[in-house]
Amino acid sequence: MMRIIDFKRLKSLSSSVDFSPHQLIQRCSVSGTSKGKAKVKGGQTLKRSKVSTKKGKTTEPTEKPKGRRTSEYEKMVRDCLDASAPVRHLKPKEIAREAEREKMGLISKERAKEIEMMKKKKSESESGSPAIMGTPGLDLITLGLVDAEKIPKYELTVEDGRRLAKEYSRVLMRKHRARQAAESTLLRLKKEAIEALPENLKGAALVPDLTPFPVNRFMATLTPPIEGHFEKINEAARKSSVKEKLR
Amino acid sequence: MQRSATTLSRSLMATRGFCTSNSDKIVASVLFERLPVVIPKIDPVVYAFQEFSFRWGQQYRRQYPDDFLKKSDARGKGDYQIDYVPAPRVTEADKNNDRRSLQRALDRRLYLLLYSNAFGAPDGKPVWHFPEKVYESEETLRKCAECALQSVIGDLSHTYFVGNAPMGHMVMQPTEKVQDLQPLKRFFFKSQVIATNKFNIEKCDDFVWVTKDELLEYFPEQADFLNKMIIS
Repeated sequence: MMRIIDFKRLKSLSSSVDFSPHQLIQRCSVSGTSKGKAKVKGGQTLKRSKVSTKKGKTTEPTEKPKGRRTSEYEKMVRDCLDASAPVRHLKPKEIAREAEREKMGLISKERAKEIEMMKKKKSESESGSPAIMGTPGLDLITLGLVDAEKIPKYELTVEDGRRLAKEYSRVLMRKHRARQAAESTLLRLKKEAIEALPENLKGAALVPDLTPFPVNRFMATLTPPIEGHFEKINEAARKSSVKEKLR
Repeated sequence: MQRSATTLSRSLMATRGFCTSNSDKIVASVLFERLPVVIPKIDPVVYAFQEFSFRWGQQYRRQYPDDFLKKSDARGKGDYQIDYVPAPRVTEADKNNDRRSLQRALDRRLYLLLYSNAFGAPDGKPVWHFPEKVYESEETLRKCAECALQSVIGDLSHTYFVGNAPMGHMVMQPTEKVQDLQPLKRFFFKSQVIATNKFNIEKCDDFVWVTKDELLEYFPEQADFLNKMIIS
């Protein structure tokens, strides 16, 4: 009786086990000794459970014509990721080491790049053209938003930066306070006007107007709208989309 | 709250005199404004600071390769008409000082003024005034103002009246110098131009679209009131 029961148990156990690769992962070493433990890395599938894929063969013939484009792209990506930062982070030990090496006459690559950059900077600052901010055609100076002559002169130093920041803050705060004062006068005038209305009209005036704002109110932009430009763009877009559909 | 109410009532008593509100003529006038089309000029100090902070930060920024930065200039197949020459901010109407066109001071607000025989003015002489209408028995004063604007412009599809309440009032008492008819109360309603460039202004001899400074020239006596009511 005991043997029959044992058999049944064994059969149920075997039927429940699926032979999937993850079941064959060796989680721990079996032997009681420390020998051989180094070779077992946790969670690695055993070699006999690997299924060889056929994907490697199909990608080979298509690699060659794409090769140049991918390599250009890869090159650009690598350049971006390795882009040089103008200031290197050096610990004090490293600074001391570099200074000593320079005395001996050995200059590292990064130090050489730094020296080149300093030379370039000097030549640029001597030429002295104002730096252009933003896209060349649409920046604020060429558009006439700022008078280039009235900009105060400054060097790129900390004291000048602080002075400019103080003036900036002063100007903006003055404007802000003026605007707040003007808005509160507006509100006061409105309240006085409502008070001055006769009784029958006052009730109607006090009802808040909750109809939604018009959605097509024009928002002020950098340059004025060009007549007919919008229709031209729409025409071009429609034509190009129609051509694609006919194909 | 109580203090403000008492001061208000005191000021009202001072201006009104006796409460003869029934015999006063009430006029609803409209301040019709066109909002700025272009952003206003930037103070050079503000620009200097922005430029300084940009250049200071630029010193510490990584330099990415140029062809990566030029990728944004690449144009797709169908985009051949996206690049454009920006229109000038100072238009022809600015150079000709053509006050009737709406294309004049694009970075400021423009207000409409009419020149005709207005209500509260001495008879027979056309004066510069805002579009207005005497209040008869309509429902609200805002509807009266809408009628006033409609009679001048034609239809109200391109206007937006801001709120039900007036934004200011003017009390005109008859003086010895000017022969006014009766004491007059003028309530101003604010409305804005929506989505047009031109208007057909009828029923008046002349009309102008003026900025705030020019507006103060047209009304020398009421200059400080208008200064308070109109911000820019």
